[in-house]
Parts: sequence; C-alpha cells; structure tokens
Amino acid sequence: MIGAAFGGTLASARTGDEAAFARIFRDVQPALLRYLRVITTDPEDVAAETWVHVVAGLRRFRGGEQDFRAWLFTIARNRAADAGRSRNRHPAVPLDMTEAAQHPTTADAADQALEAVSTQTTMALIKSLPPDQAEIIMLRVVAGLDTGDVARIVGKTPGAVRVAAHRGLRRLAGQVAQAGVTL
Amino acid sequence: MQGEMPGFFPGRPGGERDEPLLDMILERRPIPPGAPPEIHGLARMLAAAAGPAEPGDLAGQAAAHAAFTRLVSPPGASPAALRSARRSLPERPARGRLPLAVALTAVAAGLGSTAAAYAGVLPSPIQHFAHVTIGAPTPPLDLARHAPAVTSSPVHRPPELSTSTPASRLSAASSDPVSDKTRSGQFHSHLKGNGAGLGYPSCVPAPVPKQSHGRAVGHSQGRAVGHGRNPAKSGSAQGGSGQAKTACPGGTVPTKAAHARGQ
Repeated sequence: MIGAAFGGTLASARTGDEAAFARIFRDVQPALLRYLRVITTDPEDVAAETWVHVVAGLRRFRGGEQDFRAWLFTIARNRAADAGRSRNRHPAVPLDMTEAAQHPTTADAADQALEAVSTQTTMALIKSLPPDQAEIIMLRVVAGLDTGDVARIVGKTPGAVRVAAHRGLRRLAGQVAQAGVTL
Repeated sequence: MQGEMPGFFPGRPGGERDEPLLDMILERRPIPPGAPPEIHGLARMLAAAAGPAEPGDLAGQAAAHAAFTRLVSPPGASPAALRSARRSLPERPARGRLPLAVALTAVAAGLGSTAAAYAGVLPSPIQHFAHVTIGAPTPPLDLARHAPAVTSSPVHRPPELSTSTPASRLSAASSDPVSDKTRSGQFHSHLKGNGAGLGYPSCVPAPVPKQSHGRAVGHSQGRAVGHGRNPAKSGSAQGGSGQAKTACPGGTVPTKAAHARGQ
C-alpha cells in the first residue's frame, strides 16, 4: 500500500508521470497477479488487459487508494470472466504439501515447515478452496479490500462474504492439518 | 460445517468463538499473543501470500508502461481523443501558416511588380499606371518595344526576320529606306533614353546616297558622320579594333565598325 502519498502519486500519473505510474503498478501488480492466478488460468494476459483498461480510465477515476484497488480488481475480475477461464480451475494438492506431510509433527518440524511454505505453496493451498471462498480470501487478504468492497466485486452481501471467508480460513487450516503440519 | 473445520480449534465445532480471530487474520491485524498457535500459523501463511513481490510478480510491466505512454502521456486519455489529436496535428500548423504565406506572397508580388515597373518591362497600361503612381519610367512606345522590322540600327534585329536569309533582310532593308530611317530614328531616340543597345556588331544595309541616314543615326548617337562612305574600310576598322569580326554580305556594313570610326 502506498498510503498517504497515493493521492499525489495518482495525480502525477494522471498527468503522464511515468514514475508515478510505475510506483502504483509495482504496488498493485503482485497482488493482482496472485489474485488472477487463483481465479483464472491465464493471469498474465488478463493482468495486461486489466492495466490497459485502468490506464484508459485513469483520468476519469476519482477516489482514494482503497477505491482505486477496488476499481482495479473489479476490472480484473470482469476481464477474467470475459476470458472464460475462471471456472476451469481444478486445484490439486501441491507437491510441496505432500512432501511436508512426511515431516514429523513436532513443534520444531512445524516451524520449519511453516518457514518452508512459500508464497507459492500458500497460493496453491488457497487455490484448492472452493472458488468463491478462495476469491474472497484473496480479495480480503492479498488485495487488502474490506468486506464491503469485496461484496460489491463478487456480487454478494457483506454477510455472505464474511461467512465465506471464515469457511475458507477454516478449510485452509484443515488442509494444513491433513498435511501433517500443526498450525 | 464440521467438515470445514477439521482440526481447527478442536473441541469447538461451531467455530463461532474463532470468528473475531479470523476477522483479525482477514484484516491483517496483529494476533493477540494468547491466541491459539493455529491462528498464528494461519496468519503467517496468509501474510506470506500478501508479501512483497517475488520474481515474476511484476511481469507485464513493460506492456503496462507502453499502454500508459500511449494513452495517458499526451493530454486526453481516451484512444478516440488521441486519434483525433493525431489527425489534427498536421492541420493546426497549416492553419497558422496560411496568413503568413498569404502575406509573404503579397509582399513578393508587390516587390516584383515594383521592380518590374522600374525596369520598364511591364505592359504599357500597367507601366503607365506605375509611372503615374510610383514614378516608374514612362511606358515605351509599342514601336520601340517591338523592334523595327528592318533597321539600320546597330542594336535590334526584328524577330520576324531573324530566320530569314541575309539577302532577304538586305532586300527588305533596301525596299523602304525612308521607313528604315524613320524607324531607326525613333528607335534610337528611345534607346537613348534607356541607355541600351550600343555597340553590337551587326550588319546593316550600306547607306544609300541621298538618304538622310546619317541624320537618323546622328540623331541618336551624333557620331555617325560619314557612315557608309567606305564600307570596306569600315570593315577593316572593325577588325582592327579587336571587336568581333562580322562577315557582312555585300551592301552591308558592320555597325560596330561605324561606331568605332565615329569615335
């Protein structure tokens, strides 16, 4: 998150300041790609399309950093839906977790396993969740959006979003436990 | 419900009590130290998912920058506006240059006309107008402008006879000596004013006795005394003066020689 400087950075980007745009891009792109890797099979292409739309609408956008992120992830979700790939996810248990299951479940082993759990492994675990839960957890945790923004993006009520997020977290804990890692 | 919480908060199958902690994970708030270790583990795992960029997470930066440069850098973010701006780019300078081009053309035309008026090369009505308005030289007479058909003048040769043979010229010249005289006089009078047409080696009809040819020439130059008295001698004089040698047919003399002798 850029924070208080976001307003000035966005204003500079609107006037054509490439450095300001690069700052916004570097701040948002990792979360965008991770989110798209969960909901679509072609995240790079969808991300590129998303940025084209964001750039085209940059001058018309009004709002703060949270609004910008909500706007950008809304565009990304729509582009992913257009690509028609978001429903074709068939997650499998990643190899890393299979290997982790062979470790003893002592406290030290658990710590080592947690340290070994990379971002990719975590993403694979989240991807193994039901699609709506995975998407909501990504939007809430990775994109940093609040319940209201996520509800608007996915078309659910804030209560439904909250319930789905909780269920997803519990399922994640269960998968990690099944893999033999005590959290 | 039970299946969604395997091993999570054991002994609390409903899971309602873990909701505040789960909300803290979702909001990335610090987990209280007294929370179950499972909560801490889950929080760390999700923090890894929201962690800093890894190699590959910034893929597509070049494409995004290209789109940004193309769409945002110029004023007007929409592609339609950009296309419109590109279309109008060549037109705007042309519109701005048009008055300048008109002004330059008018100035050039004015200067050229003035110069032509002072050179006296404009058509007679226009030259007369220039004479009245800006003091340009008076328009020449038409006869002077269109040189005499055949002349004893040393200067001009009629265009219509330029392709004719010397013999025909001679014949024409001798056919109307009075007319020649008149034309020559008028023409020399005009040339005198303009200060042009002197010293061209050319052949003119040899003077005919009892003609007032000398008067005509003398009228213009005042130095043709004895012109034509000895054409042969005049020819040698021309050669002796180092001027261009002109072979003149019989009955004609080089005009240059006449002038040289007069001097």
